Order: sequence, then C-alpha cells, then structure tokens
Amino acid sequence: MNRRPTFDELLDDETTGAERAQLQHVHELLLRAGPPPELPPELEAGPNLQLTMVRRRQRAKKRGMLLLAAALVAVLVFIGGYAAGNGQKGSRGGNLVTTLNLKGTTNAPNAQASLEVWHPRDGNWPMTLTVVGLSPLQPRRYYEVYVVRGGKILGSCGVFRVKQTRNPVVVTLNAPYPLQKGDTWVVTRQGVGEVDPGPTVLKPVTA
Amino acid sequence: MELAIEVPQPRLRAVPSDSAPTQPDVADPSDAELLARVGKRDREAFEVLYGRYVRPVFSLALRRLGDRGHAEDAVQEAFAAIWRSASTYRPERGAAGGWLYTVARNAIVDRLRRNGPSVDAELPELAASDAGPAQLAEDSYVSWRVHRALEDLQPREREVIELAYWSGMSQSEVAEYLNLPLGTVKTRTRAGLARLATVLEGELE
Repeated sequence: MNRRPTFDELLDDETTGAERAQLQHVHELLLRAGPPPELPPELEAGPNLQLTMVRRRQRAKKRGMLLLAAALVAVLVFIGGYAAGNGQKGSRGGNLVTTLNLKGTTNAPNAQASLEVWHPRDGNWPMTLTVVGLSPLQPRRYYEVYVVRGGKILGSCGVFRVKQTRNPVVVTLNAPYPLQKGDTWVVTRQGVGEVDPGPTVLKPVTA
Repeated sequence: MELAIEVPQPRLRAVPSDSAPTQPDVADPSDAELLARVGKRDREAFEVLYGRYVRPVFSLALRRLGDRGHAEDAVQEAFAAIWRSASTYRPERGAAGGWLYTVARNAIVDRLRRNGPSVDAELPELAASDAGPAQLAEDSYVSWRVHRALEDLQPREREVIELAYWSGMSQSEVAEYLNLPLGTVKTRTRAGLARLATVLEGELE
C-alpha cells in the first residue's frame, strides 16, 4: 500500500484549534504504528483453555507427583514405541490443524472446553479435548463428542466421563471421517444403550 | 487431504449491519480490573483481556520474530505468562497496559532466545531499519498502544479508520466502498480519531 492519507483530507474544516492539533497527533501515531496484523484463525478463535490450567496442573502435580511421574514414563514409552513403529513424529508439535473453543449450553452453563484437531494419520483425525465445568454423571451415563456437518450429527468421536467438576479433564479422541470445511463439534450427555444424541452440553463458541 | 475447517479471515473485522448507533462502552471493565480478576483465576475476564490484547501482542511478536508461526507460539506463551502472573500486578506501580506490554515482551524475548540467532537474523524490521534500538523499542510501544486503542473503537469507526489509513483508499473511495455518504465517512473518521485521542491520552503529552 503506497498511498498514505493526509490529515486535511480526512477532516472537515469545522474542527479547529487544540482539538484539530490533538487529532492530528493521533493521525501521526496511526501512520507510525502501521496496520494491525491479521490474526491467524487459531488466535482469532479466542484463548486456548489449556493456557489457564497451568496452576491447577501444578497443584495436582504436588499432590500426585509419583503418579504423574509414572504416567509420564508410560506416555514416553508409548510415544517412543509408536514413533519407532510407525516412522512418524512422536510429538504432535506443529501438526495442529485447528483449535475449536466450546462453551456450555443451558444444560451445563459453567462448562467450557477447547478441542484441538491434529493432522490425520491413516484416515483418522486425532483430537485432544480439554474441558472444565461439566458435572460428574451417574453410573452408566457419560459424555459423548460428535462431529457436526451442515447442522446434523455426522458421527461420534468418542466418549468420556468426569470425576470432579472443578478439575480439568483432558481426553484423546478421534474422528475416523474425512473432515471437511465447516465441520464442527458438540458434546452431549448420553446413557448406555441410547442411540440418538442426548442433550447438548457444549457447543462451539461463535463470534 | 487437507482439512479446511479454518474460515478465511477478512482483512477487516465484521461490522454490524444495522444502522442504529451502538452504545458507548461505559460499563466495560478497565484493563486493571480485568487483570485483578484474572489474578483470581477468572477465565471470563481472561477471555475479555485476550480479546483486547491478542492483536497488539501478535503485532509485537511479529515485529520481533518476523515469522508468523513463531509469533503465534509467542502469543500463546505471552498469554500463559499473563495468566500465571496476573496476581502480581500492582496498579499503584503503573498502568495495566504497560505491565502487559512488559510481560508480553519478555515472553517474546524468551522465545527469541530459545530460537537462537537464526530467527534473530530473520528480523526484517531490525535488518532493514536505520533506527537504533531505542527508536525501535519506542516504535514497538507506539504500535502496541495504537493497536490496543483500536480495539476500543466502535466497529463502524474502526472500519473507516482502517480503510482510510491502510487500504490505500481515498475518503471518496471509502464512501463508495461502504455505500455511505462522504459526510458520514468523515463523521465516523473524526469520531474514531477523537476516541483514539482519549484512549491514547498518555501518548499525546
């Protein structure tokens, strides 16, 4: 962009004196600052909920250091074995396709979640769901994540349970479908034996 | 197959199409109030603060890192740092915007150090400019403040300001583009500049 506006072309002649000088200073600051950058979709979508879970994780770590260490070793062994066996990256770093923020519906007004969709492997789209604020359910009831296309349920991506409302739950899911532009996700409350999607508890945050 | 979930982002942000004037944001909490709430682990306040500052932080990161991917990561790290340390903010020691700038800049510098000299060498701003470090730092802070202030404009004011300053259009072309009378464009431009003057009062000293 070559053309820079002149101050006099922007304002009418009715603005005078100190006010005009003040506005001219703003004009110069705008020219000096340059345009704000266009945000990537991941940043435009809002804060990643995982950003806000650091302290809670640290507290959990204090309480369960040994358990965490054991889990970490198991994960590392798994990732290392997987990477060695498949010749692919052991880490998902850099393979994130998109992040979707979800908010609670009237069925779960305090819930919120962040869903990360990773690049597909062998036709499967791994996903990581981080959720807080959902209530624990009775036995034989659970939460289910559905992919939605054109306003209709396309298929299930997995189920999970919640132990405590306050603690964040991180679950790994999978979409074994050829995802398309416009696909989105919802979380519903289900019971064993139910075929149709139950009440929606989390839906995408829209601008 | 490439997944194309991401919706293409327009260069300009959406503007309400109704013609009714929007209400002034008198009830909006200040940045300092939001920081205090974030310090108490208020996620809603964090989201509001994120909305106000994500563009300035990304702009700052782009200036320092020169790479959108690294800048995006730096933004995530900057906001994680803000979440972690918000409780240490003391209003009596300075404005919230300055505190946020410092936290964000430190997070960006940390990433710069981790990435090593190869990224440093990519800095177009530093490489191409004749300005010294002090001037560059001042320019970065001006951009930070101006881009933050733009977030306080009414959408229709911000639209005409962004078109006037960074689209290359004349005021007549902006009026034609928006299908508005030229007088309306000038009125909104003036209102936008006046609001920016209020928000940027400290810069006008």
